[in-house]
Amino acid sequence: MTATTNESQAQERIDAAEDVGHDTGDELSMPLDLLLADAASSPLRRFLPGMSGVRFAAGLARHPRRVVRRTAGLGVELAKVGLGRSEVEPHAKNRRFSDEAWAGNPLFKRTLQGYLAWGEAMRGLVDDADLGWGDDQRMTFILDNLVEASAPSNNPFLNPKVIKRILDTGGGNLVEGGKRLVRDFATAPRVPSMVEPDAFEVGEDIAITPGEVVFRTDVFELIQYAPQTGKVREVPLLIVPPTINKYYVIDLAEGRSLVEHLVQQGQQVFCISWRNPDARHADWGLDTYGQAILEAMQAAQDVSEQDKVAMLGICSGGMIASMVLAHLAAIGELDRVAAYSLAVTVLDQEQAGLPSALLSHKSAAASTRASREKGYLDGRALAEIFAWLRPNDLIWNYWVNNYLMGHAPKAFDILYWNADSVRMTAAMHRDFMDLAIRNALTEAGASEMLGSKVDLAKIDVDSYVVAGIADHLCKWESCYRTTQLFGGDSRFVLSTSGHIAAMVNPPGNEKASFQTASENPPEASGWLEKASKVKGSWWEDYVGWLAERTGDERDKPERLGSEGYEPLCAAPGTYVHDR
Amino acid sequence: MTAEPVALPDRVRTVTVRRIAVRVSTRAAAGRYVNEPPLLLCNGIGVSLEVLQPFVDALHPHRGVVRFDVPGVGGSPLPPYPYTVAGLASWVTALMASLGHTRFDVLGLSWGGGLAQQLAVQSPRRVRRVVLTATGTGWMMKPAHPRVLAKMMTPRRHRDPAYAASIAAEIYGGTMRSNPEVGASLLHAATRSGPKRGYYYQLLAMTGWTSLPFLGLLRQPTLVMGGKDDPIIPVENPLMQARLIPHARLHLYDGGHLGIVTEAAELAPVVDAFLDEELSA
Repeated sequence: MTATTNESQAQERIDAAEDVGHDTGDELSMPLDLLLADAASSPLRRFLPGMSGVRFAAGLARHPRRVVRRTAGLGVELAKVGLGRSEVEPHAKNRRFSDEAWAGNPLFKRTLQGYLAWGEAMRGLVDDADLGWGDDQRMTFILDNLVEASAPSNNPFLNPKVIKRILDTGGGNLVEGGKRLVRDFATAPRVPSMVEPDAFEVGEDIAITPGEVVFRTDVFELIQYAPQTGKVREVPLLIVPPTINKYYVIDLAEGRSLVEHLVQQGQQVFCISWRNPDARHADWGLDTYGQAILEAMQAAQDVSEQDKVAMLGICSGGMIASMVLAHLAAIGELDRVAAYSLAVTVLDQEQAGLPSALLSHKSAAASTRASREKGYLDGRALAEIFAWLRPNDLIWNYWVNNYLMGHAPKAFDILYWNADSVRMTAAMHRDFMDLAIRNALTEAGASEMLGSKVDLAKIDVDSYVVAGIADHLCKWESCYRTTQLFGGDSRFVLSTSGHIAAMVNPPGNEKASFQTASENPPEASGWLEKASKVKGSWWEDYVGWLAERTGDERDKPERLGSEGYEPLCAAPGTYVHDR
Repeated sequence: MTAEPVALPDRVRTVTVRRIAVRVSTRAAAGRYVNEPPLLLCNGIGVSLEVLQPFVDALHPHRGVVRFDVPGVGGSPLPPYPYTVAGLASWVTALMASLGHTRFDVLGLSWGGGLAQQLAVQSPRRVRRVVLTATGTGWMMKPAHPRVLAKMMTPRRHRDPAYAASIAAEIYGGTMRSNPEVGASLLHAATRSGPKRGYYYQLLAMTGWTSLPFLGLLRQPTLVMGGKDDPIIPVENPLMQARLIPHARLHLYDGGHLGIVTEAAELAPVVDAFLDEELSA
């Protein structure tokens, strides 16, 4: 009864926000909500400037002199390009123009310089228009995409590398590439595939750490990993993976698996593998997933005969797990959690920075309505948007490689995982959007989990919070604010690289390092000043931190599962195979 | 001396063959079946491989079994283009080869029966024995009542449990008439529904297809099974198939369309016995 009331309230709040919120996108950040909001709307919509375009045009009209100056500047530069006197050259790191023909052949050089000058002028126009933060971000996004798409390297007749390849293969590359193009664009996500569909096989060469599924419900399978050491820590670790992708990002190939690393360091590891939901599961919301985490906790406790577990939440899994911990605190059962860790998770969604300006309350409301009709939000739509946020790396790079050069993309386990998308239930989508719009987790009592008011400050267990410095999905500064929300001692660790590579950070990499500090001042910038750099992977640091909080060592269990939890099948189980 | 035979566990994984990925469940053979061809199960339209679990459990526990979700159905991703029955049959032999089986028996249920007939005629050296249950000969067959056919045109019964329960008796017949909720739970408890388009691809593949002209060419020993109360495949169809296939035997049973699943305990031994017969010279 209460559940239904909550649900309709959440939808009402989203709809109401649409009525009052004109373009208040500035207040929200975190492209995760942007992704969720945009995924349900049509792809074209994202590239239509809408009101931002009107304000852009009006902005330019208000500053005619700037526009004239910029156009004249472009004219001068183009004239110089024609005469061969232009100094314009691509950024040294831009590998797309690395072929020597771009510098050596006067024709290609002029094409490239003309393009660079034009692109520069286009981008400059956004500055000229003097827009507000939100419109500025939106127009920059759209013009950036336009400029990148027009790059001469994307055109088979203007790219010297492609022309050479056409001569070498007698045009075979274009035939092969054409086939790839048709195949990729026949089904969503309509973006170039970054990895061959048969590059890996789950359970064969990725997700191979040995274990058993010891518990299965409609919502998840619980994997218990087999100990690889004679002695193990008493308290087990329960991993709550994201609901937006498959769990095996933490169990990629051998030597690149966080799970394997933890098991080899004597931890008893349990991991949830979420079911890939479909239309029949439309009403699984936050409470469904929260309840599932509680069931998994109970199972891990029973199997290991402990009254505590340590928890690790990742990305959206970390959001739900945090709410579950707040629920446990509210009902006086937080002592079931020995230690809490969060990886690349944003709880405080305020403050901007990324193209989050694309998210408005209007699109949030439209998108939850769309997913409600369909029953779920398609993960492939998410993948599509994700790619268009970084078109250079994720679209045009593969456009040239796959279609123009006719090469197969390289086999890379992270990209294979990334392409193995999952759906999000309509109710979960609505609940996430509701949390994001109100930034409800930062305010005590503004959200509910299983009937308890959520107050993150009541979570007073020790916590370990990891973020990636180049994470464009969950900004590290936003992740940092978690340390200010929880009530207990927090250790914040800033890893190198982005959202996923920060997670997959095996020891042994010469270049790996992370930063950490002894205290957590209120502002992320203050923390960064105090932080010092440590060589090596945060995995090793984490294992040490975890070992201090997961009890004494004991002999490893003789078998997996227990009388009440007979092993059902070998890891990685069956849910992970559901497409 | 010998203990009760125990089946090896099913292994579920996603396999990619010719760039099409499908979810496959394999049960390894044991005991005296180790060197025998495994049994490939071709499922009915729109349902995932779990639906066949009761039948697999009732087979001899040592028999090797391969099941798969047709591209675009259950846990298999949607293929980029629609396919034909002949194309799918050729692809299935490639799938079996990649699993290490160059020779196998095939059982087709309903929609899968069309695929099984195509496989039998297309790969006579690969396919040893054929079992057809509750299946017809494509568009040239005694059709079901239009009211039944209309309900088969959409995947709604696989997606909406209440709807499934309301129509199960009418379309599946047999024991579903007395317990329609069995049908709903059967199709839902374990089924993972794929995109709607996967279902329509399946419908499309069978559009215009018929096995009638080539049934006389089938060389394999074939067991034709049919339910006497099957609204989807009227009993005239198995009768006709058994008459036209040269080495065919007919087994009619009291039951409906999903008999081999709902009455698995009774029908699986019939299939076992047929597959275990010595090959006639």
